[in-house]
Amino acid sequence: MTSLPLYPAIITDMIGSLCIIVLSFLALRYAWLLIRKQPENFLWGFLFYFCLTLASFAISRATGHLVKHILLFSGDEEAWRFINPISGGTNTLLMISLAAVTLYYHKGIEGYQAINRKARSLKEAYDQLEIAADQLHKMNLHLEEMVEERTRELSASEKKFRNLFNNSKDMVFFSDAKNHLLTMNNAGFKMLGYPLDEAPDLNLVDIFKNEDELESYHKVLRSQGFVEDLEVEFSKADGTGISVLLSATAVYDENNMLSGCDAIVKDLTRIKTMMAQLAASEKMASVGQMAAGVAHEINTPLGVILGYAQLMMDDFSAESEPGQNLAIIERQTKACRKIVADLLKFSRQSESAREDVSINEILMDVIAVTQHSLNMDHINVHQDFTPDLPLIVGDTERLRQVFVNLVNNAHHAMEQQGSGELTMISRYDATTHEVVATVQDSGHGIPEKILARIFDPFFTTKSVGKGTGLGLSVSYGIIQDHGGRIEVESPVTNKQSGEKAQGTAFHIKLPAVVVEAASVRE
Amino acid sequence: MNITKKINIFALYLPLALLLAPDQAWALQVHAPPEGIYVHQLAHLFFVAALSYLFWDVRRSAFPGKGWRYLQIFCILMILWNILAFSGHWLGFDIASSDIIHPAGYFSSRLIGPITSIKFIYFCATLDHLLSVPALFFLFLCMRSLYRSIETKEEK
Repeated sequence: MTSLPLYPAIITDMIGSLCIIVLSFLALRYAWLLIRKQPENFLWGFLFYFCLTLASFAISRATGHLVKHILLFSGDEEAWRFINPISGGTNTLLMISLAAVTLYYHKGIEGYQAINRKARSLKEAYDQLEIAADQLHKMNLHLEEMVEERTRELSASEKKFRNLFNNSKDMVFFSDAKNHLLTMNNAGFKMLGYPLDEAPDLNLVDIFKNEDELESYHKVLRSQGFVEDLEVEFSKADGTGISVLLSATAVYDENNMLSGCDAIVKDLTRIKTMMAQLAASEKMASVGQMAAGVAHEINTPLGVILGYAQLMMDDFSAESEPGQNLAIIERQTKACRKIVADLLKFSRQSESAREDVSINEILMDVIAVTQHSLNMDHINVHQDFTPDLPLIVGDTERLRQVFVNLVNNAHHAMEQQGSGELTMISRYDATTHEVVATVQDSGHGIPEKILARIFDPFFTTKSVGKGTGLGLSVSYGIIQDHGGRIEVESPVTNKQSGEKAQGTAFHIKLPAVVVEAASVRE
Repeated sequence: MNITKKINIFALYLPLALLLAPDQAWALQVHAPPEGIYVHQLAHLFFVAALSYLFWDVRRSAFPGKGWRYLQIFCILMILWNILAFSGHWLGFDIASSDIIHPAGYFSSRLIGPITSIKFIYFCATLDHLLSVPALFFLFLCMRSLYRSIETKEEK
């Protein structure tokens, strides 16, 4: 072979240069698309810079080759000699850059992997944090629900105990170690007679009437930690005493020192009254039994004395001395028999009729009979009758006797003061289904010390010969026999104003038949 | 004037004196003409090393997908191209300007005989685009394949 043509090399070089430019830019385009798609991916970033440098190298080299061929074609060898080193130098520089970028990949990938590891670790930490946050959130939600539930329960409990405290009819109070009353319910202030709108600061020293009782209370509280059913007397706002039953529990602080107490106090007034009434009732019952026995025993000899006296009176003229003596015996014996009859009435031994009775009619009858003598002593009679009052079942005559007795007593109480007001009231108490008849006077009243004895047989404040002391006891017996009650109030309390006025009021309470009658009609 | 102040003045004036008297300083080195081609040849070797590393690392990483296989082919072809180009440049030293004639202009250039193995290899080296163009084509395929693979993943 003598020579080789170089035109294939020239053609290949020119076409190849163009292809290289096109292909490098196509590769660069896809590299660009890759980093656009996933800008955070380091590999795509590397490939993009690799393709970019390669494209630069391709342009430089291919352009240089093309320029060389063009210049040599045109015969401008001189120009090519000038450009050649520049083109070669640029190619060298870009080739080194391309190699550097490629090697840089090593460091880059390490960095990328390190970042990836960090990112994974951060993601794991974030995931764990998210799980923890989620759990915390759930716990928080649950906690909120628990708190809400507990708050609701506490609120309900507080409301329940607050209602119990406020609505209790007994006194409830809390005191500190220095005996100051920290809190006391309205019933307590009411029991002690203090106005609710101006409740004062109280101390146990203020409300215990007797210092000895307070001392005893403290002693028991300190020794036992509680006080149970201690009967003491409290001092009311007006200075009067009130008998109460005290139960208390000691409260201790965190150092186990007594820090106060909580206490419940029950008013014993009603119980004491009931007990007094019960005692009186038992006494009256026993007295009545005794009186009945005595009356039976006396009644027979009295009948014999009266019979013989009347027989002997037939033998003597009325003007003769024996006749006059026998008349005295007869009169006194009859007086004795009347007393015996009254005693029998008191002890309910006498017979009585039962019929429907109108209290209003009885009261009007009594007023008709007594009004004249009352007016003589300037006593005004007032009537306050409720119309259409239910009937009661009873003995008209005996009930009339009760009211006559009461009016007579009222008359007696007012006659010395020369004038007075007698008020007769009738009303129906729907709560107890009782007909209540009241005889109220403005007389001197009944002293407290004898109030408990007024129903005793033969107890009287009248002078000798003016009363037997059987009026109220007989009335008591009759009302008891009718299934009713007789109550006395002296001095009289005005129901509207609450003020107390001089005088006495007797309240006769008899069971009404209105409900029973109505049900029978139905 | 104390000692410290004297030392300070000396330290200030010495660099100034050196700058003002550059005689025999040899600050500039004149480079002989073959240096450029040596640098170019070293650049080829540097590029081969970089491509070899890239090929090894891609293979080692075992990235999945056709795209990475195309990149490996690109690396091999480019390494071959570099070797060919390096050889061409190296053998170019042995080709005298009188070995190439232009009887009827540039396009009619011929490598005159006798055609030795050096001349033949040189001739082959002038056809280096037969390696570089396929290499770039595989790079193009690699990038397209990688792009399409992530596009497909996103569509899924």
